[in-house]
Amino acid sequence: MKKSYLIKRIIYAVFIFLIVMTLNFFIPRIGVSDPAERYYPPQGNMSEVEYEIIKQYTREQYGFDVSPFEQYLNYVNGLLHGDLGTSFRSGNPKVSELIGERLPWTLVLSVTNLIISLFIGLIIGTIAAWKRGRWQDTTLLNLSTISTALPAFFIALILSFYFGFELELFPAYTNPNMVAQFDWSFEAIRVVMYNAALPIISMSIGGIIGYGQGTRNAVIAVTNEDFILTARAKGLSRNQVIFKHTLRNAMLPIVTSLGMSISGLIGGAVIIEQIFNWNGMGTLFLEANNTNDYPLMMGIMLFMSSFAIVANLVTELFYSMLDPRVTVGERR
Amino acid sequence: MKNKLGAIGKWLGRKLMGILKPIGSFIAKLWRHPKGRLGLIVVSVLIICAIFAPLIAPYDPYDVTERAAKGLSPSWSHLLGTTITTGQDIFSMLIYGTRVSLIVGVVTGISIAFMGAIMGIIAGYVGGAPDTIIMRVVDVMLVIPTLPLTIVLTNLFGKSYLMIIFIFVLFGWTGLARVIRSLVLVLKNANYVKAAELAGASRWHIMFKHILPGVSHLLIMNTALTCAGVMVAEAGLSFLGLGDPTAISWGKMLAEAQGGGALLFGHWWWIIAPGIGIFLAVFSFMRIGLVMEEILNPRMKQSSNVYKIFKTLNNKYIEEVFAQMDEADMLKTKKAGEEA
Repeated sequence: MKKSYLIKRIIYAVFIFLIVMTLNFFIPRIGVSDPAERYYPPQGNMSEVEYEIIKQYTREQYGFDVSPFEQYLNYVNGLLHGDLGTSFRSGNPKVSELIGERLPWTLVLSVTNLIISLFIGLIIGTIAAWKRGRWQDTTLLNLSTISTALPAFFIALILSFYFGFELELFPAYTNPNMVAQFDWSFEAIRVVMYNAALPIISMSIGGIIGYGQGTRNAVIAVTNEDFILTARAKGLSRNQVIFKHTLRNAMLPIVTSLGMSISGLIGGAVIIEQIFNWNGMGTLFLEANNTNDYPLMMGIMLFMSSFAIVANLVTELFYSMLDPRVTVGERR
Repeated sequence: MKNKLGAIGKWLGRKLMGILKPIGSFIAKLWRHPKGRLGLIVVSVLIICAIFAPLIAPYDPYDVTERAAKGLSPSWSHLLGTTITTGQDIFSMLIYGTRVSLIVGVVTGISIAFMGAIMGIIAGYVGGAPDTIIMRVVDVMLVIPTLPLTIVLTNLFGKSYLMIIFIFVLFGWTGLARVIRSLVLVLKNANYVKAAELAGASRWHIMFKHILPGVSHLLIMNTALTCAGVMVAEAGLSFLGLGDPTAISWGKMLAEAQGGGALLFGHWWWIIAPGIGIFLAVFSFMRIGLVMEEILNPRMKQSSNVYKIFKTLNNKYIEEVFAQMDEADMLKTKKAGEEA
């Protein structure tokens, strides 16, 4: 990998982050002259004097009593010190603390889902490519058309209905005590996996089929290339051709889609989390929305965007390592 | 005076025929395609349901006063039973839900096609500063998490389907613009465009008379696929209660079913019904999109459908088209060289 390419991508990522950060600062200020009005919208039973006092208090508490430019500087300064703001919740916890509490629970779902989807998807896809045109292949094709048209949250509802309520095999709602009582004991981990089963299954059905189809096509596309024929012709064994030539090249499109899934790791499961009452980032965001908690909402947004920026950067760099042609093309 | 009006009428008629004829022949092509026919039939049924909903639906789905008919199981009088909470007729709700899904899907799909085409063509053909600005905006849009931003914006500006369409368009054009841009970059060097430039045609003339037709097949196909994707997304947002609170939509029906105890009381039909609605709408639009692609771009027939969507999203698809184009060009030059 070329050094200039690396530096260029990093500078570019920082530039994108600055834009996203600025947007994030302005979004709660859209349409109101005073951000305090956004943080505390007027209630019906409040007199104007009362509301004025509340606004004054809010301004002082959230630093709105200085000019907008100074507010922006303060905001940037806070971010540099890792301060995403203060939530409205009782006890005024730091947004970063709240995110830190919920993030692992979301990652439990999304990372497990990603690993399962990728692993089973790769296997299924390779089998389908192997048995091209036979029933294994056509079944995968039909399934993928169907699963694209079925939203994951609908699958989640069906699973929660059948396995949660009818058969009572798995909990349809997560036990809220699970988070509070978690202590890394074997029993606690077992409970988490038991509760996470349905959400993960409903998320991974689409993922498995998507990755399966992607792998199948990538493998088939590579098998048609001339260098595979050359490899076979020069007498390499079938296994050598598959592992040394086919799979490495078939990895390219898979890495791209993997990068997309990674940038969606922390924001991708809002609806699933809501259905199963899973205490992750998605539910945190919905709670913030219900209580009009703008600092929390914007903090989560910024966190998710930064995560996506970093994930994209890493994917690009990884991709350029797998396929050095990318860096060459960049210079043109 | 009369002659003038007649002339205008004739002119209008000709223009109208000019627009309708290709659409008609296109639908005929879809109908002749074995896979396209199914999609076309389902879409027509859905459109009829949306337009004539009050005539088809046996009950008023907004009627929440039927206290006596709460939580009925499916029967001949209530085809899909009634809701547990308010006694609304589920079949009628299903019919009315078509409206939201189709309107949001089609309006967003067409708007995204417009936005994406304009931005992509400007970025690709004009180049320079407009190109840089548009592509930087695309890069920023791609990292902002869509669902949380949608939630924040509906919180700021109120919940309505107009808002949802606006946000979908705001975020949806980026991917399409990228694809269109890369195709325009190739078309830009085509001989007929060069010829038009030499003949002194204005930039706008070239962009809309020469470049746009060149990317239209991609636009048409993409519109159908975007409609399908938007319908799924709309169902998700409605499920979270971000749509218009007074309208009936499939996503909201699912949310009501979940909140209203359909799971608890075993009323599976209340969950399955809106799910089948979503599935049929998305599936048929997807089918039409893929068949359109096969008709418009027969070279792509070999590879599988879902991977094509996947690749379109990843802008990989276009690279493949380029590769094929390059190959064809190389063959041509080879032939020309051999002949010479």
